[in-house]
Amino acid sequence: MLSTPRPLVILVLVALLAYALALPFFGGTFALKFASRIMIIGIFVISLDLLIGITGMVSFGHALYFGLGAYSLYFISPESAAANGFLAIPFAILLAGAVALVVGSVAVLTKGFYFIMVTLAFGQMGFSLFFDTKIAGGTDGAYINVRPVFSIGSQQLLNFSNRTAFFYFCLAALVFSYLLLLWLVRTPFGRVLQGIHHNEARMSALGFNTYAYKLAIYVISGAMAGFAGVLFAAIDGYVAPELLGWRESGLAIMMVVLGGAGTIYGPLLGAIVYSMVEETLKSATELTAIFSLVMSGATAKWLGGIVANSWSMALGFFLIAAVLAAPKGIAGFIEKFAGEPKRAKPREIKPPAEHRERAKAMQLEVDNLTRAFGGLVAVDGVTVRFPPNRVHGIIGPNGAGKTTFINVLSGALRPTRGNVRLEREEIGGQKPHNVARRGLGRSYQRTNVILPFTARENCLLAAQAQHPSPFRFSNSWRREEEDEAVANALRAAGIAPDRADIRASNLSHGEQRQLEIAMLIASGAKLLLLDEPLAGMGPEETGRVTALLRELAADHTIVLIEHDMDAIFAAADTLTVLVEGRLLAHGTPEEIRMNAAVREAYLGEWGQEAKP
Amino acid sequence: MSQPAILAENIDTHYGRSHILRGVSFRVAPGETVSLLGRNGMGKTTLLRTLAGLVRPTSGSIRLNGADVTASRASARSRAGLAIVPEGRGIFPNLTVIENLTFAARPNSKGERPWPLERVYALFPRLAERKHHWGNELSGGEQQMLSIGRALMTSPSIILLDEATEGLAPKLRDEIWSTVKQITGSGIAAIIVDKNLNDLLALADRNTIMAKGEIVFDGSSAALRADEALIHRHLGV
Amino acid sequence: MDLALIQLLNGMQYGLLIFLAASGLTLVFGIMGVINLSHGSFYMLGAYGALTLVGYTGDVFIALAIGVPLAFAFGIAIEWLFIRHLYDRDHLQQVLLTFALILIFNEAQKLIWGSYPHSVPVPDYLQGGIKISALLSYPYYRVAVAAFCVALALAMMFVIQKTRVGRIIRAGESNREMVEALGIDSRLLFRFVFASGAALAATAGIVAAPLESVYPGIGEPVLIISFVVVVIGGIGSIKGAFVGAILIGVADALGKVYFPAFSSSVVYAVMAAVLIARPGGLFGRAA
Repeated sequence: MLSTPRPLVILVLVALLAYALALPFFGGTFALKFASRIMIIGIFVISLDLLIGITGMVSFGHALYFGLGAYSLYFISPESAAANGFLAIPFAILLAGAVALVVGSVAVLTKGFYFIMVTLAFGQMGFSLFFDTKIAGGTDGAYINVRPVFSIGSQQLLNFSNRTAFFYFCLAALVFSYLLLLWLVRTPFGRVLQGIHHNEARMSALGFNTYAYKLAIYVISGAMAGFAGVLFAAIDGYVAPELLGWRESGLAIMMVVLGGAGTIYGPLLGAIVYSMVEETLKSATELTAIFSLVMSGATAKWLGGIVANSWSMALGFFLIAAVLAAPKGIAGFIEKFAGEPKRAKPREIKPPAEHRERAKAMQLEVDNLTRAFGGLVAVDGVTVRFPPNRVHGIIGPNGAGKTTFINVLSGALRPTRGNVRLEREEIGGQKPHNVARRGLGRSYQRTNVILPFTARENCLLAAQAQHPSPFRFSNSWRREEEDEAVANALRAAGIAPDRADIRASNLSHGEQRQLEIAMLIASGAKLLLLDEPLAGMGPEETGRVTALLRELAADHTIVLIEHDMDAIFAAADTLTVLVEGRLLAHGTPEEIRMNAAVREAYLGEWGQEAKP
Repeated sequence: MSQPAILAENIDTHYGRSHILRGVSFRVAPGETVSLLGRNGMGKTTLLRTLAGLVRPTSGSIRLNGADVTASRASARSRAGLAIVPEGRGIFPNLTVIENLTFAARPNSKGERPWPLERVYALFPRLAERKHHWGNELSGGEQQMLSIGRALMTSPSIILLDEATEGLAPKLRDEIWSTVKQITGSGIAAIIVDKNLNDLLALADRNTIMAKGEIVFDGSSAALRADEALIHRHLGV
Repeated sequence: MDLALIQLLNGMQYGLLIFLAASGLTLVFGIMGVINLSHGSFYMLGAYGALTLVGYTGDVFIALAIGVPLAFAFGIAIEWLFIRHLYDRDHLQQVLLTFALILIFNEAQKLIWGSYPHSVPVPDYLQGGIKISALLSYPYYRVAVAAFCVALALAMMFVIQKTRVGRIIRAGESNREMVEALGIDSRLLFRFVFASGAALAATAGIVAAPLESVYPGIGEPVLIISFVVVVIGGIGSIKGAFVGAILIGVADALGKVYFPAFSSSVVYAVMAAVLIARPGGLFGRAA
């Protein structure tokens, strides 16, 4: 999880802020304009980092919202009078946010490469809307003749024509935006976004509607880019279709990556460095001055002229060198010197008074369930009942349809035919997050925790899933009961207290599998679907987790797939044997062991020598 | 006496910051079958992948039939007679069975093809029946057969089998072992990683155990069977 | 009506041309996992290369015969210099590096050929066209381009389905590591695929040069449309690229006839519709 900024980072940012506050006292008009521009671009790129670095959505069409924000100033400005900033800014934010809602509702359906391309295409669509038509001057762009003013009635509070006032406004806007994002990523909402970045399927299986979360952040980020855009239009009083185009989007990505995605302050530094490098490369005199440090004056002048003449090529080489040499960007360097992040101390939770009453868990009924992939029938008319507070094992050869079976139960796949009922309510065909919210939690064959988060943070996300609305911005609401659920889950799953606050990636394989179970407990699931929870465990770990499963059955129903025959025959109350998608047998371990058909199809020689 | 099929000396392998293999030395004589045992996460798969060239060791040397291949890529080692049947089988789902099999069919260094298509089909009649099916239409057991068959068609002198019977029904497992026996019987050296200790003890000429990235035991099946404490400590059976 | 027919023919022919560019893009992404934003630059360099080569040889088909091997070699050089460093990196860095390549190629184009548009002549023997009505005719050159693209598409499908190279390409799409482990040097495979992609884009640029003027930034719309086509068709699918390209070509042409004000938005609307119905594209594996 994104940690609080390290002291070194705060130092860098405070130094920059102090410099900016002082700039109007010694800087000229050009410096103020240049700095305002960088700060506005800064707002734009940190809004993009919210998508790229925090949520893992690489948007290649973010300039669409920046450009729309800019155009909204043109739309709202009278021909030869000033627009009121109190109207212009909300209008820009609303317009960008509204378009982001429409575009996002389609784009967020896709992932990875597709998302990159789809956002790119929508950005281009916006670009051509202005480029190919006569709206706002078409290809040539349009001028905003008078800069906006902020006024209430006849009282003028702030005029953007005043460079210094505009500069300080931009600075305040940037500081506000930065702090807003810093707060946002630490709210329950922001934590889920980071979880989605690292493991979307897991978040969905915990009960979060990841589509809603991603759409929400897409709109927030778009609205913020619109805010940057309206300020940008006020710098030069000129808007052109290029502002929405893919080059602007690409440049914003450049700055995010150059600065270091996912750190928020990094992209800001990226915007500063990028703008300065670009400005330097464009200027023959500055280049000559730099080159003359290492070569004769005449050569320096000649070379400076050549580079400045083809500055965008030089910029290209600079970017390539930067990405190859520093994949984690400028922030990567700073983090190297900043030391390990400090994590918040967990609150003290008193252990539960004593052993609780055995809680009634949920019952799962499967009726004639069939799932086909094209012509291939992976699950074929399975009918079985899993009564509450028991451990139910599912066994069968690979390719028998076991994983498909539980994927249908958990909502990851839709049934082709048949019913799945949880406590008499139909859940077949519902989305995973809806199934999860009804109390069915699942784990995966491959360990599926959020590796960069600590065990406690993983469980906290899971606990948060009991109230999975995306609009959770308060850190205190329900925090106490969630902290308690986390502490209990960690204890119940047998994760040692001194292991709870280290990153999941540093836990042993067995601990990670236990953490998965802890997450399910914390999420409040009453029925646990576990896909090979013992895979890859050594014998003591196997013994420990098997005992844990037995304990959990006190207030959960457990359905698990397992290949470790010794363990499952010891742990399960009932066994279900699937072969080629069909239910071959269902019964107690003893019945299954003696079943001739099961021996024939699956067990073979196994267990012959085992005692009855 | 000819060169060892595989001779690895003082191999160290890292994944990022974690040190997976710690000074492993490993030798397999031509035609020898060696089991590689140990718990999960002890470095067995990493050792196989390092030998195959899919992971670069940070130090140490690897010789294949006498030739130094430490610096050569996995593809070069494959052409020099090393075949790997990886964990998860590595079937190409969008190629047919016959395309998978003939994908890398090539003669050995002497220009012979000891495992032509007919012989692979004779070993795995199921593959012959399904030769025009796509790779992703096969069951787990059939995929395992296909992966082994495909490896054989590269005419290897040594074959590395990683989790050869993982996820297979006990019955199918016996079938795979009997074909592995035929393969090793034909003179191909083998390193086999698997969870089923008893099956491996019956099959291997020599057994090795890995723990924490090191080889902690190297000896005959009889010696290993006799040392219950060792089995209990490292394999927990 | 005749105008609509001409537009429809133009749309098909445009679609076929886009297919050449998009097929290269889809192969490079499908096999190498690299998002190549500089793909449009190869189209641009093809078009400008045609300008120079036609200047010397006088015939665009001779320019094609010389230009395609040159583009292939150029692709090898770019892969060796830049792209090979990207294989283990994430999409973000690929986007950044190939975007930087666009800046470099565009500047190089300006230095070599200048900023003014140029035109490339249609060969003499393909002057004129097929009469459709008293007033309208369809140019021979466009027919030749369409026929050429169809032939190339068929040849590519044959190579991919029936040859050893094609088998390796298909295998590389699903499991690159296993291809390497079975003795095929994936460095060479990637270099070959990237160079083929570059050559395909350049081919499109060369044959397109006489159809429109050659101008700075000519490759960028092609890049964007190619991405749209890849998304519609499904990543890595040549068949998908073909269907997607024709669909986009026709949609674009009909858009110009029926919604002239929003013609360029029509293709994006088609893309959005396909994605809502099938988020993995028409021929893509599940998204």
